[in-house]
Amino acid sequence: MATDHTNSPVDSGTDSGGVLSPVFTWMENLSEAAYAYLLLIPGFLLLALVAFYPLLSTLRMSLLADQTRGAEPLGGFVGLENYMNVLTGETRLSRQLIDVALTTEFPFIELGTPFFRQALFVTLAFAILSVIFETAIGFGQAMVLDQEFKGRRWVRVAIIIPWAIPIVIQGMLFFLLFQPTVGFGSGLMQALGIFGDNPLASSSDSFIIVLVADIWKTSAFMALLILAGLQSVDRSLYDVAKVAGATPWQRFKMITLPIVMPALIVAMLFRTMDAMRVYGIIESTAGCSTVPSMTCMVIDGLFGGTRIYGTAAAVAFLTAALIGVFIAVYLAKFRDSDGGFA
Amino acid sequence: MATEKPDTHQVLMDDDGEEPDIKRGMFEAWAAKAIKNPKRTYKAMFYTATIFFLVTTLFPFYWLFQVALTPRDNLQDVGLVPSGFDPSLLAQGDITMGTNPGVFLEVFTLIPFHRYMINSFVIATVTTIVVIVVASLAGYVFGRLRFPGKGPMMLLVLIVSFFPPAAFFIPLNELFNTNIDILRPILTDGSLYNTPYAMVVPFSAIFMPLSIFILTTFYAQIPDGLEDAARIEGTTRLGALFRVIMPLSAPGVATAGVLTFIAVYNEFFFSFLMTDGSAENWAPIVDGILQYQGQYEVLFNVMAAASIVGVLPVAILVVVAQEKIVSGLTAGALKE
Repeated sequence: MATDHTNSPVDSGTDSGGVLSPVFTWMENLSEAAYAYLLLIPGFLLLALVAFYPLLSTLRMSLLADQTRGAEPLGGFVGLENYMNVLTGETRLSRQLIDVALTTEFPFIELGTPFFRQALFVTLAFAILSVIFETAIGFGQAMVLDQEFKGRRWVRVAIIIPWAIPIVIQGMLFFLLFQPTVGFGSGLMQALGIFGDNPLASSSDSFIIVLVADIWKTSAFMALLILAGLQSVDRSLYDVAKVAGATPWQRFKMITLPIVMPALIVAMLFRTMDAMRVYGIIESTAGCSTVPSMTCMVIDGLFGGTRIYGTAAAVAFLTAALIGVFIAVYLAKFRDSDGGFA
Repeated sequence: MATEKPDTHQVLMDDDGEEPDIKRGMFEAWAAKAIKNPKRTYKAMFYTATIFFLVTTLFPFYWLFQVALTPRDNLQDVGLVPSGFDPSLLAQGDITMGTNPGVFLEVFTLIPFHRYMINSFVIATVTTIVVIVVASLAGYVFGRLRFPGKGPMMLLVLIVSFFPPAAFFIPLNELFNTNIDILRPILTDGSLYNTPYAMVVPFSAIFMPLSIFILTTFYAQIPDGLEDAARIEGTTRLGALFRVIMPLSAPGVATAGVLTFIAVYNEFFFSFLMTDGSAENWAPIVDGILQYQGQYEVLFNVMAAASIVGVLPVAILVVVAQEKIVSGLTAGALKE
């Protein structure tokens, strides 16, 4: 394999110079480090344009005042005022990030607007619940895919397909499923007493629809990452355990789980980061005013009637900060788990 | 767990299992067997789980297909078959059997859905090519070269994927709406809004980190001797990468390509916000599908048909490239 690949390119390799030959000669004479930096330029240029510059720019915007009139969308420097306004609920956004008041009676907290109308709670509840369900279901799927059986190839295709479909089609699918005229989903849930009259207009019902849609689509992603962990388990460990008289549950708890743990934590970290950005599935099913996520608020600030770029930027950075908190928690967990240095 | 080879002990049990105990009911007999022979229980659990997963993942697609085939007047009750479905109509010469397959043509006549699909396809393909070339250079550097600042630079690449797209979006939206004079010869008004570049550029950056990590792993595995041999025979440095390393890592390149293509085709955020939603302005499939939702007449069957048509390209890709997807996700994730 090596020989047939190395021979053919060399013949054509020498005559590839042409006009560019001085460039190639120059590249040949660079030190390894200089050559490395040269090759990284295109990638970092792209990242600088699309990621680093916008991030810094958003950070700057979040410190400037909103200016709803005039040519310039942003006013003077206001420090952390936008952040304070977002956190205290004093913005022109159609839904608030958080709207609670402290009380003296038992829960000590009073919701200003319903729970599922507050972006922070919607985002957190969505991220936590979806990751829990997706981990459980993904683990089940990974256990199935870890077996040898006839037709495994096709079962794997079936399990991956929801993950591979466009978000907008996933949204359309669940919109139709829970649309009272065509779909049976709402009727089913109403019969169970969970849903009210018009699920796609009710915040709590729509939250469940969005959650189910996400679990349906993304469990497969968890399954594939967990499967990678499962396949790194040395099968002979199971034989040893069996000889020692371990029950299947013990084998699972003492062998499978600890070995899979690092892969599991990485998979959960990825999913949490992704779930905190939820937007598309909401926009294409119930809509952002029914189920406001934090990303929904950013878009609302940009295009939702009044132009409040500073506030929108502050929400965007609060989302990033919240994701950062979760990453820190996971990294601490990852360090604790066995094989953290794998 | 069930991969263990059936050991002789349990095979013997299986033979014993057929004791003549007729008094027991069916369920008790099954339960007694299950207790005696746990292997059967695991087998049963395994099949139940497999069937459960197959039904939950595939049934929605089946149902979508039924909605699409149901004639518009019967949409109130879509069951396991389209209402109005009647095989006996076949005898009377009606090959549609009371369903409405014409809806799959309606998808394209109502709005230019094929244009949206082509737009998505072009954007995804161009992004994939850009990502593969740029990520190959970076993957080669991270996987094969030693230089100061390697660790921090890899971290910098990784950090990009931590931020929500919303944190990039506001300045990019402004930038792409600015009329830039030097772009005027290529673009009508000099702004990138409503052009494919407004999506290809952000997608390339956002989906590049995963490809960089996949390719770093693959490129690092090529033995140094092969590259040296090519270099001694006169290949340029870049030639060694594109003519030796890349072909030898073809599975890795294919994996990165497939994952990038699927990710771009599926993306919602930038696809939805970077064009005005009309097919002539390079709006991708997102806007195409949402157009049906916005129609004044409610066209549930057309929405369903369009969704099926839109899924087909990625479904085919998954069937063809499933191994690549699996290996790519695992390689990319576990190395980070």
